[in-house]
Amino acid sequence: MLFNFGDRRYHVAMNIKAAQARSRLYSDIRAYFTDRNYLEVETPTLSPDLIPEATIDNFGTWFVNEFASSREMYMIPSPEIFIKKLLADGSGSVFEISKCFRNCEQLGTVHNPEFTMLEYYTVGYDEKDSIGLTQDMIRATALEGCPESVTADFEIMTVHDAVEKYAGIDLDTLQNPRDLRAAADRLGLPIPGPEPWDDTFNRIFINFVETAISKDHPVCLTDYPRQIECLAKAQGNYRRRWELYINGIEVANCYLEETDPEIAADYYRREYQKLLELRRDNGKTIPDVDDSFCEVLGMLPKCSGVAIGLDRLLMAETGARDIDDVLLFPFSRML
Amino acid sequence: MIKAGQIDKGTALLIKGQPFICVEREFVNPGKGSAFVRLKLKSPSTGQVLQETIKSQDSVEDINVEMMDYQYMYNDGENFHMMNVDTYDQIEVPMANFEGYELLMKDGETYRCTVYNDEILDIQIPSKVVYLVAEAEEAIKGDTVQGATKFVTTETGLRVRVPIFIKQGEKIRVNTETKEYLERVNG
Repeated sequence: MLFNFGDRRYHVAMNIKAAQARSRLYSDIRAYFTDRNYLEVETPTLSPDLIPEATIDNFGTWFVNEFASSREMYMIPSPEIFIKKLLADGSGSVFEISKCFRNCEQLGTVHNPEFTMLEYYTVGYDEKDSIGLTQDMIRATALEGCPESVTADFEIMTVHDAVEKYAGIDLDTLQNPRDLRAAADRLGLPIPGPEPWDDTFNRIFINFVETAISKDHPVCLTDYPRQIECLAKAQGNYRRRWELYINGIEVANCYLEETDPEIAADYYRREYQKLLELRRDNGKTIPDVDDSFCEVLGMLPKCSGVAIGLDRLLMAETGARDIDDVLLFPFSRML
Repeated sequence: MIKAGQIDKGTALLIKGQPFICVEREFVNPGKGSAFVRLKLKSPSTGQVLQETIKSQDSVEDINVEMMDYQYMYNDGENFHMMNVDTYDQIEVPMANFEGYELLMKDGETYRCTVYNDEILDIQIPSKVVYLVAEAEEAIKGDTVQGATKFVTTETGLRVRVPIFIKQGEKIRVNTETKEYLERVNG
């Protein structure tokens, strides 16, 4: 089909198979959760403030008030901020299929600045319970012809054990950033200079672990280092958190949600500081933060939330090699 | 100096004093962390291949290279002999640095090359090239193992699996990356 808009011509070849697969997956996911008494919710795309996350770049826009002051609004990178307010209000277990927005310059094969996330929060669960739930859900909703690499049993391994297995180092003995840098150096990784522990960890993780984990079956890496700051409860040197990899690609993230308002406030302070330092000089959007959200976290019941990148799950289930193949209007083709 | 995130296929870098060309680049993001870029780098002078995954914000030393056209004349088993089409300067390029290129480059054809310090760092072979079929083996009737295909040899010595109707003297278009037959070319 060819559309003419002035002197711009759009050639649209509808990817019917991708559209059908997506539609099928969405209905099966909705049925799965509704059958188990999760409430499907729909939360805003625009928020006047966000949970600070230094490594996520944001889209900002303006609510223009003709006779009063205008206000900057931000497009959500995740529905978490709204869903947690519902949970604190006693919603019970909920799920949402939501568009999310992350501003980024690196458009590769697994990123689209506008993408779809499935998030489900189960009251009373911890992150370990979420593993079984996720495996069951993926299997129950798997598309016809879905490869075994998606539906096979999860291989569950702690990050500590994975790093020991694939990089030969024991994170517990390398909690000092300088020691970890020395270990990275011995592994042949170039370290430009002093950097935070989590930056060095990510170098090691990306070079040795992500490349080595199996692509034949999903791999669930649990208990991420505490030094990677996020709103998952900490325990010793690690956090109650896991990530799911399918075909070697990160597809899901899960927390045992942080419910201590002081710990959350600490996180807000430190993370917002990092964000300011990174973005003050390069014009990137600096989202407002509202730390009264920490009190909301204090009102959360014990719960575990899982966030799944549905576009990536679709890629895995349909054998697509590029996220553009599962999107009707990929960002990179609109530029 | 440039940021690693600015590197693209074909970018030339200096690593520990040696020139490398980026032959593959992929973006990788850890779950919570800064952006990384996965690079496959090739050193033309030593043939060494490096795989590096570094932060997109890391600085790397890029080098100024020139893109020039060289005509491929012949090879003597050890070096490709090429001639700069503008200056007529002749240059020897070690075949060991470009393994398999003798099967892809046609005598007298011109190729875009990346040049640094009077050395050819990279030879660009187009992804689809038309070759003459110099030799075609006899298709064995009833050979169900091969299916409806057979092997031919191009003018450059490249062996390609093609449909059985391809004859000696015909031209075929080949994907030079996968060495796969694409189509017969008429005329």
